[in-house]
Amino acid sequence: MTTGLDPRFDTLIWSFMTIIFIAVGSYILGNIARYLARSFGATVAEQRRTFWGVLFASPWILGFIIFVVGPALASFYWSFTDYKLGQEASWVGLENYRELLLGQGAHGRRFSQAMYNSFYYAIVGVPLQVTTALLMAVLLNQALKGISVFRLIFYIPVILAGGPAILLAWRYMLSSNGGFINTSLSNLASSFFLFDWLYRGFIYIVETLNSFYAGVAKGDPIGPFKFAIPALLGASILYTLVRGEWDENKRGRAMLVTEIIGLVMIVLMFARAIVAEPVEPALFYGVSLIFTVGIFYYAQQKEKRQLRIWQVSGVIAFASFLALLIGFETPEVQALYLPAVLISLLPIMLSFFLLGLRVKNVVLLGSIGVLVALIFARLAPIDLFAGKVNILGQYLTFQSSLVSPYSLETLQNFDSQHLPALWLYGALALGMGVIGLWNNRHPKAQRAVIIGLCVFFGIIALNATIDGFRYFRAYPEVAEATSKPNYHFALFNNTVTTFPDSNRVPLWLGNELWSKPSLILITMWSSGAGMLIFLAALKGVPKALYEAAEVDGASATQKFFRITLPMISPAMFYNVVIGIIAAIQTFESIYIIRNTQTQDSLASAAIFLYERTFRQLAIGDGAAVSWILAAIIILLTVFQFRFSRWVHYEA
Amino acid sequence: MATLTSSNQLTNSYRNRFTVLLDTIDTRTIVFYLILFLASTFFLFPLVWMIGTSLKTIQEVGQPQLNLLPIDPQWGNYSKLLNEPNFYRSYANSIFVVSLVLLGTVGSISMVAYSFSRLEWRGKNFVFALMMATLMLPAQATLVPQYVLFHNLSWIGTFNPITIPGYFAGGATLIFLMRQFMLTIPKELDEAAMIDGANPIQIWWYVIMPLSRSAVATITVFLFVGQWNNILQPLLYLQRSDLYTMPIYVAQKNNLQESPIPWQDIMAASVLFVIPVIVVFIFTQRFFIQGIAATGSKEG
Repeated sequence: MTTGLDPRFDTLIWSFMTIIFIAVGSYILGNIARYLARSFGATVAEQRRTFWGVLFASPWILGFIIFVVGPALASFYWSFTDYKLGQEASWVGLENYRELLLGQGAHGRRFSQAMYNSFYYAIVGVPLQVTTALLMAVLLNQALKGISVFRLIFYIPVILAGGPAILLAWRYMLSSNGGFINTSLSNLASSFFLFDWLYRGFIYIVETLNSFYAGVAKGDPIGPFKFAIPALLGASILYTLVRGEWDENKRGRAMLVTEIIGLVMIVLMFARAIVAEPVEPALFYGVSLIFTVGIFYYAQQKEKRQLRIWQVSGVIAFASFLALLIGFETPEVQALYLPAVLISLLPIMLSFFLLGLRVKNVVLLGSIGVLVALIFARLAPIDLFAGKVNILGQYLTFQSSLVSPYSLETLQNFDSQHLPALWLYGALALGMGVIGLWNNRHPKAQRAVIIGLCVFFGIIALNATIDGFRYFRAYPEVAEATSKPNYHFALFNNTVTTFPDSNRVPLWLGNELWSKPSLILITMWSSGAGMLIFLAALKGVPKALYEAAEVDGASATQKFFRITLPMISPAMFYNVVIGIIAAIQTFESIYIIRNTQTQDSLASAAIFLYERTFRQLAIGDGAAVSWILAAIIILLTVFQFRFSRWVHYEA
Repeated sequence: MATLTSSNQLTNSYRNRFTVLLDTIDTRTIVFYLILFLASTFFLFPLVWMIGTSLKTIQEVGQPQLNLLPIDPQWGNYSKLLNEPNFYRSYANSIFVVSLVLLGTVGSISMVAYSFSRLEWRGKNFVFALMMATLMLPAQATLVPQYVLFHNLSWIGTFNPITIPGYFAGGATLIFLMRQFMLTIPKELDEAAMIDGANPIQIWWYVIMPLSRSAVATITVFLFVGQWNNILQPLLYLQRSDLYTMPIYVAQKNNLQESPIPWQDIMAASVLFVIPVIVVFIFTQRFFIQGIAATGSKEG
């Protein structure tokens, strides 16, 4: 079709044919609708109206069938195959999804890196972006002359940011060596003493935050504390339960939540067992902890009732899990996991046999016993009981992936395989914290939960930051060993993550440490769309509220936080959700500003989809990615629709 | 005595006028204007820097410097670009693609919106709900299979994958926007035309379309900015250098492995690329604000 003709002429012919196709298609669809209306007993006038209505709507109906339904069905099928463009497709089942969701293999790892980058943009970028938009809207909401000109200026970045031109300008301005931004910042810093310190403080804060992120995304922040954290958390929660005076209502709710968390953990354990994935120890600890807590609820009840769901389902789950483990796993895996499974079975057994006794003391003693045993296992001779004690000890008190910080090998293989554990521990901690906080008759007990949670997240933050520091400090060596270009890191000669010298500059787009903050700077610059939504919301706040507040003598700050913010909370919520969706879909800006060094550290989910599908032509994998993204985005949208009523403030 | 009083009144009135003047420019206003100007500098700066850079020499561009505009503007950067056949071709391609997409999309969207807003037919509510449901479906969900579809039609390396889908009323948000607008047109107009013997096509073209000019302008502006900046679809489908549109041309200019990077050339191409968007935006910002207020989103 394309040969010999001017491509534009070719397109014009196709356009003409498309119009004819739509005209004919509309006529046929209209007649079908008319026929259907007749068979449903419509009057002649109604049939006629239906004909015209469908005729006019059919461009969309045809497009929906050709470009949405058909492709969506095809891609849903392809996501279960290893289809590559120009090759035969063969069925692989859930293989694509498994690799992507569990972060296995080279592509899975890059996908989880991309998802973590999107998460970073959502957690760090979206709040900054929304705040900028709100500040802009508040500025533009003043009754000043010429404000519409400023509105025009504030909105210009939005229409420019979609295209490559202004992004290239940013790229040029953000050059770390002699770019406009760094040159002017350095000049300011060398002229004003105070600015110099602020500037270096800013560099230090950004680098520390990004090291923390790198540590979370790549290292193993809970590694050394895999046993200590649940023990700590468990102790604080047990304390709240023992000290608390529960009212029956709250106890019931707390028990329900415990059961739900326990069941989710059991399901997760199964899911991982089915795909033959090593089961995370956090799961065992979680289940174990839940059952321990369950015992206490039970023990505190006045009258002992029949078996609870968690007891029954726990026993069934463990029985079948044991069967799976023994039936299908290799001896190595069995040796690794059996002890942990058995340990987590202990509380259930206790709940059956020790009820009515002084359960509290028994379980506390038991926990201390287990702790002592673990320390022993860690210190025991390597070959004791054919090494099983040692394996158990290692397993229960995992060492960090970055034990030797400057080993090139560990750093190059730095990946996110420990992430599931982090999520599980985090979810577990939060869930248990919620339960503990329900126990509101006892302030000391509540304080224990809060302290437990703070210590938990504090340990993770500290550990992740240290991992990240080690990663970036060793980066020049890695770059040398892998012959990656390294002139950006040469700028600061291993001094990264220490408090910067006075001649240091932010490195912006050239490297992993600063690439994400750079992108966030650009999205803040172009947050004018959110500004317009805030502006509309601000205009909708009734004046009477401010007047009433003024009569009561409220200050401007009070008016803003007590009236304006609650009244515009729907707009805020909308902007946040839209911002998160946009963070997943960011494509143009990353495509333009990235370079070989920042390819992985900038990639969003949309960029990964583009590379996997259209560079490597792996349609099957790409289809799976696109369905995962679609599921996330649809969930977010539904969430937004569903909960937008909750935040709405009735005046 | 009388004169003294009057002169006193005179000074009083002057004093009053002066205080009124002082009141109008109180500190709060000055602070707000100051912040507004600073913020405007932040928002406009990349654009100004882009224009300034496009007029510099390669020596100036390569070294750290802070002057916005060069002392000796190099208009030669632009004439060099205008003599480049690739530049012309890309610009023409962009104009061609954008106009086709605009024609097709605006035409089909106004038809569909007409059906959803002013015609009563069986199943309308269901089809409309279906359309609103597609709002939730992100573009990524159909990107991959659409590529395969166009590949099988051997449309890769032509403009068709970008222009043809436009005829099928893409973009549920824009249809919704148009429908909301058309709902505000009084029904009596259709009925009067119907009594005069006009069929729905005539009513659509002679009654509704002339009255929906502002909605048409709104979606045209949205589509124009979106398409002019569009880089993903051209990147996927146009895989031939003689078909490249401006966004690809500009992006490719940066990817040339030249050292030192000729930023002044890249920025000159960028300036010529953003001029239509800025001109269109400045003259039609009313429609932009309307559109965003109506749909609450920028991508239309």
